[in-house]
Amino acid sequence: MSVLVLNEVSYRYEGTKKAVLKDISLSFDNGKVYTIVGKSGSGKSTLLSLIAGLDVCGTGEILYGGSDLKKLDRDNYRAKSIGVIFQSFNLLTNATAVENIVLSMHISGRKEKDKKMFAYELLEKVGIDKETADRKILKLSGGEQQRVGIARALSHNPDVIIADEPTGNLDRDTEEDVLNIFTSLAHEENKCVIIVTHSKKVTSIADEVWGMHAGRLLAVEQKAQ
Amino acid sequence: MYILQNAFRNILRNRGRNMLIGAIVFVIIIASVVALMINNTADGVIDDYKDRFAAEVSLVPDMQKLREQLMEESTDGSVRMTRPIIPAEQYIVFGESDYLQGSIYTAAVGVNNDDLTAVDGHLGGGTNRRGGSMGGGGSFQPTLFLMKLLGNEFDDFTDGLREIAEGRMPENENEAIVSTDLAELNELSIGDTLTFESELLDDEGEPHEIEYTITIVGTYYDATDEYAEGIQQNAFTNRRNEILTGYDTVVSAFIPDHSGIDINATYFLENPDYLEAFAEEVYGKGLDSIFDVTTDEASYNKIVGPVEGLKSISLTFMIIVLIFGGTIIALLSSIAIRERKYEIGVLRAMGMKKQQVAFGLWSEMLLITCFCLVVGIGAGMMVAQPVTDMLLEHQIEAAEASVSQTSGPMIMGMGAVPANSDAEPLENIDISLGLITILQIIGIALVLASLAGIVSISKITKYEPIKILMERN
Ligand SMILES: Nc1ncnc2c1ncn2[C@@H]1O[C@H](COP(=O)(O)OP(=O)(O)OP(=O)(O)O)[C@@H](O)[C@H]1O
Ligand SMILES: [Mg+2]
Repeated sequence: MSVLVLNEVSYRYEGTKKAVLKDISLSFDNGKVYTIVGKSGSGKSTLLSLIAGLDVCGTGEILYGGSDLKKLDRDNYRAKSIGVIFQSFNLLTNATAVENIVLSMHISGRKEKDKKMFAYELLEKVGIDKETADRKILKLSGGEQQRVGIARALSHNPDVIIADEPTGNLDRDTEEDVLNIFTSLAHEENKCVIIVTHSKKVTSIADEVWGMHAGRLLAVEQKAQ
Repeated sequence: MYILQNAFRNILRNRGRNMLIGAIVFVIIIASVVALMINNTADGVIDDYKDRFAAEVSLVPDMQKLREQLMEESTDGSVRMTRPIIPAEQYIVFGESDYLQGSIYTAAVGVNNDDLTAVDGHLGGGTNRRGGSMGGGGSFQPTLFLMKLLGNEFDDFTDGLREIAEGRMPENENEAIVSTDLAELNELSIGDTLTFESELLDDEGEPHEIEYTITIVGTYYDATDEYAEGIQQNAFTNRRNEILTGYDTVVSAFIPDHSGIDINATYFLENPDYLEAFAEEVYGKGLDSIFDVTTDEASYNKIVGPVEGLKSISLTFMIIVLIFGGTIIALLSSIAIRERKYEIGVLRAMGMKKQQVAFGLWSEMLLITCFCLVVGIGAGMMVAQPVTDMLLEHQIEAAEASVSQTSGPMIMGMGAVPANSDAEPLENIDISLGLITILQIIGIALVLASLAGIVSISKITKYEPIKILMERN
């Protein structure tokens, strides 16, 4: 069964006339990596925002586990069910990396006794050592911030992970590591991973690739499984 | 719990802004501490004085009214004023009232003893009787007295003007003390028994002889002036000739409907608010309308006036500070929210609920406020006393200036006691911080913190995280 289903989803930003998303229908399954590609401004980030439950679509519906996001407690959905890696990171810039992760764990209500320990380990996995983890986000490089964003998205063990250009600021080695994490999340832990990307490297690991053009969805390639 | 922790961290993360907010809250709290401490202490002082002064009722003739009345009746335009007197029976009847918690009676009667030499006896005697020494109407020539028997007039002892020289104060009926001067003049000693004669007059002015047999139980030093100011000097008015005894002793010879024994009463109301009801009652019981039923307002105002002035100044000051401070805090927190929009968007994107975000912001404000509260109460306590002393000094000056304006020329009847003669204004108040004051300050602090909280919440509810985050990109 599909974990996420989009039915003819359309969206328009408040105060604008032009629809950014038009009649998008798509299903996402557990255990798969999806990538979405498309020109800048085609609506990829907007689509992810709706999937992330940051807003509700105009017409159409988005179903998570069969229930409409419009009717769901979206705060709870964001806190527990979904992990988002934002294009612009959206971390608490005044707080340290590890504080960002611990706060996210608190919000989702994770039961770990030693949340800080867990956070350090998670950051270690995406290549952030303890010294860096104790620095404020403001004092981290773009690539480091991106990795903290990835760690935060994974910190509460969500069902669905969505990532907006997650490797844009990473060097090749780290990109490789991060992609390995994504594929193992999908293939070993049966998560649904949705990635927006321009990178050929990233699309190469995808089970399904979709394209966006001016707010509409196009099928690009389907990997034979 | 983690929200509180996060709030605490946020305070340290944004030190600059929080120090500014803290400074404003600190000023508000100090101002409130000082104002409330003054206010509550002043309240206590005022209540205390109200109980003591406003509860003390006297029946005072309105001399102005009397003069007007006599002028109307007068045929030749000349007026001879005598101080009206309340019959002794009436004083006692008035005292039997449910509005009173008690009454203090004093009594006085002129007496003679042919075997004794009065101090200044060569100046002759006198009388306090109606018509008095002025000669009176008719052919009757009143008896003049050389000495006075005073019942329950011991105020000079508490004021330190008189002091027991030998023996003790009178305790039982027919015991009395005499001045050392009178004792020396007549070689009186403790244990001597003396008989004094006096007379009471009935309605027609017919005299009725009475007698007092008194045992001397002590003598007193007298530091009072021999003669009250402006009074005719004779043996009767010389204060060394006052024989002091109990009220019961003096009234033991009392005969209804006869004059001669002067009774005076001070009534104490259960509650100052009963004044009007009590006045109505005594007029109903036959008090002449020429008498006013009053509390000693002049003394009360002189004493309490400065404290009341102090109180209203401190309250006004506090209200101004609260309004200004509150406005600044509301503005600051609304600016702070705009500044922290992104942070709020991130928290909301991470799944934090609106209430939780608001609670976090409110907690930050609350923590800052609590810190300021502790420091502010301490600092406020230190500055409260000097501030009070300074303000009170101004108030007393103002009060004294206004008293000397209003007291002007006063019509003084015979023996009328000028009001506020010995009322001293309160020159210092010991300011203290009571539990109620602390609770009030905590209340104010909570309201301040919540004000900021409400501003934050009303802003947050307008933001959807997608807008906040997308606007930034
Ligand atoms: N807050 C907003 N209000 C109005 N219009 C917006 C807002 N955010 C984005 N848009 C518009 O919506 C369209 C889609 O934007 P979106 O960010 O989804 O593009 P994108 O595909 O993610 O582009 P990129 O590859 O550059 O990230 C764009 O035309 C953009 O100008
Ligand atoms: Mg984008």
